[in-house]
Amino acid sequence: MKRRQLLVAAIGLAASPLALAQSFGGKTVTIIVGYKPGGGYDATARLLARYLPKHLPGKPTVIVQNMPGGNSIIAANHLYNVAKPDGLTIGTFNRNLPIAQLTSVEGVKYDITKFQWIGSAANETTILAIRSELPYKTFEELRKAKEQVVIGSTGPGANTHDFPLLLKDLLGVNLKIVSGYSSSADIMLAVERKEVDGRAGSFTSLRPFIERNLVKPIVRARSTEPGLENLPVDESFAPNPRAKAIMALRSAPELIARPYVLPPKTPAPIVAAMREAFAKTIQDPELIAEGKKTKTELEFTSGDQAVKILAEVLNQPKEIVQEFSKYIKFGE
Amino acid sequence: MLEALWEGLLLILQWKPFAFMLVGVLVGFWVGLLPGIGGATTLALMLPFIYTMQPVEAFAFLLGMHSVVATTGDITSILFGVPGEATTAAIILDGHAMAKRGEAGRALGAALTASLIGALIGAAALALAIPIVRPLVLTFGSPEMFMLAIVGLAFIASLSAQGARGMVRGFLAGGLGMMLAMVGQDPQAGVARFTLGTLYLWQGLDLVPVLVGLFAIPEIIDLAVRGTSIAGGVPAGRISRGALEGVKDVFRNFFLTIRCALIGTFIGITPGLGGAVAQWMAYGHATQSARTPEERKGFGAGDVRGVIGPGAACNSKEGGALIPTIAFGVPGSTSMAILLGGFFLLGLVPGPEMLTKHLALTFSLVWTIVLANVITVVVCALLLNRLAGLTNVAGHRLIPVILVLVFIGSFTSNSQYADILVTLVFGGVGYLMVVAGWPRAPLVLGLVLGKIAENYLYISVARYDAAWLARPVVVALLVVAAAVVCYPVFQAWRGRRRSQHA
Repeated sequence: MKRRQLLVAAIGLAASPLALAQSFGGKTVTIIVGYKPGGGYDATARLLARYLPKHLPGKPTVIVQNMPGGNSIIAANHLYNVAKPDGLTIGTFNRNLPIAQLTSVEGVKYDITKFQWIGSAANETTILAIRSELPYKTFEELRKAKEQVVIGSTGPGANTHDFPLLLKDLLGVNLKIVSGYSSSADIMLAVERKEVDGRAGSFTSLRPFIERNLVKPIVRARSTEPGLENLPVDESFAPNPRAKAIMALRSAPELIARPYVLPPKTPAPIVAAMREAFAKTIQDPELIAEGKKTKTELEFTSGDQAVKILAEVLNQPKEIVQEFSKYIKFGE
Repeated sequence: MLEALWEGLLLILQWKPFAFMLVGVLVGFWVGLLPGIGGATTLALMLPFIYTMQPVEAFAFLLGMHSVVATTGDITSILFGVPGEATTAAIILDGHAMAKRGEAGRALGAALTASLIGALIGAAALALAIPIVRPLVLTFGSPEMFMLAIVGLAFIASLSAQGARGMVRGFLAGGLGMMLAMVGQDPQAGVARFTLGTLYLWQGLDLVPVLVGLFAIPEIIDLAVRGTSIAGGVPAGRISRGALEGVKDVFRNFFLTIRCALIGTFIGITPGLGGAVAQWMAYGHATQSARTPEERKGFGAGDVRGVIGPGAACNSKEGGALIPTIAFGVPGSTSMAILLGGFFLLGLVPGPEMLTKHLALTFSLVWTIVLANVITVVVCALLLNRLAGLTNVAGHRLIPVILVLVFIGSFTSNSQYADILVTLVFGGVGYLMVVAGWPRAPLVLGLVLGKIAENYLYISVARYDAAWLARPVVVALLVVAAAVVCYPVFQAWRGRRRSQHA
């Protein structure tokens, strides 16, 4: 009996990251990105791909493969149903995929909680910024605005649309949302020519325009980053728990804005090795310096934390999900 | 200002930036030749290489690469009828027809010269526009963009065959194109339209597989059926001889070249319309230069003006597209969005400062476009005989190679088998259209402009109700659109009158 236990322990040891050093050596790890080259998800993946080998046992080659389509549901389906759970395929995709699952979008063939979560490489702070010369200095003043404030958006499912939509419908801010712009850059140009009064979006993408004093930040969602702590949070103005829950639900995925996962049923030792390497990579000073230069700021969230956030998103009572689906559609 | 212009040239002529530009040109050269792999994807892949470079070097590299892609894309389009880039499809209509007639050399000569002149005009426009760039771009709001799309759609009238029947077919094909543009999740309500229950179609039809199918497949079938080389029975010696003739053609139609280059620049400046539009508007404009109905019929059968027009527009738009990127930090295309990432990488914030503090760097960008194009055209001119000679290779040797390129090209757009399927389906559609004598150009124009028109119309109405209709530029563009639609009728009438007098 004792001997048997020892044997089990020995096997356990053998499968520890130490033994895995051989398993990554000379192999190629592929990061599947659910978007075309050129976007934020792709840029982050390519940045990580260059530093990940340094921290993975055996220093494998890491390459990026783009698998766009269906707002990255295609990539998630592939990772869930096709990719081998051998640690050689990693996926990164749309942070809103949990929302797609929650609202039962057609075509979803994955259970987001069953992926082996490595973690998230960044969070995203959604803010609403309005033209600097508008008379409203604070969110309170904006809420009392008599005249309609026009907000440009790219379309439902994007934070340029959903964030101001909830401000309008749940907090009663006098906004008019005009959607259909081809990109957030396109909205920015509309702000320049005063076609619209402002836009919502990630702080990172808006920052150059805030620094140029074209727009000023006025309110943010739950997720935050340095320099924005004092900006009011939309949820704190919620008139009732239902409204608060809906706003919280919309912003939850922003805490895991660059999700990285392994296929379901990937053996625990491989997951552990990958998690460790991922954490080390994101805290690599060289990578941080490079990220600063490219304005892709990274923020590490562990796999366990990511799973906790997911549970929060997915364990909503039915009536909240129904209410939520009235406002928010899965997209981008 | 002149000083900065001079300084910009000196910046780029230092040996390191110049060397990096040459490397960029070399990469762009191949990317352009290969169908499917677009300039944007390559820019994204090359971005990591600039980390250690100085700003001037980095932009010499990236822009040098980007600005020659369209030039060499023309070559693939003309020789094989396979669009080298999504932005070089229009040149196929007459360019490849010329190649089949054994005039590949002349077509290449004309296309290369036209794109060189186009690039120079685009760069000159960029340099001249720098002082007035902000008011210029800001005049074009969503209502004006919608009207521009309408003007673009009006060119369907010129792209169709003459006569009532031809017009009806043209506008029907355009309507089909617009309907195809509706495929995918709509940006107002988030509803999935015409996606046939697949995830693949959520983000709409990709332009590359559609274009490759529509244009390349019918040509391949035609080549296989004829069982000869592309240039048929024309003796090898004659094919490349026409290059100089092509160069002369451009100068014979010099004002057309300039007008098409200006169309390209203008489309480039207005962010949101996209490079795929410029070539078709230029082609449509080129067909307007036909003086008699017989001349008009020659378009699509190998009129050199149909090569010059899109050739000139294609490269001139690059200079234009840089304008909104530099002046506002707002990119006019995917490629420019990636280039913008390059700016950040180097610690530069595009915006008004690029026109004041960093003016010399801005001018070095202009010079890069000019130099890269001059170099490419010279190199292509040297290779011209060999390239044109390819049209004399027997079809059964060429077809497998072209097929591989075609399918790899369309597969690279999404890396999905559905890409191949789309290519095949549109290949079938394209073949049937050719056989039945329906024009393909209006379909493409509808496809490229449909979404733009829809979105900007929605924005205009949502933002301004009906008041946008009274904006002066909108009214002016409406008049232009009406004129464009009516022009073929006028053309036909003038033609009739001439023949009566004769």
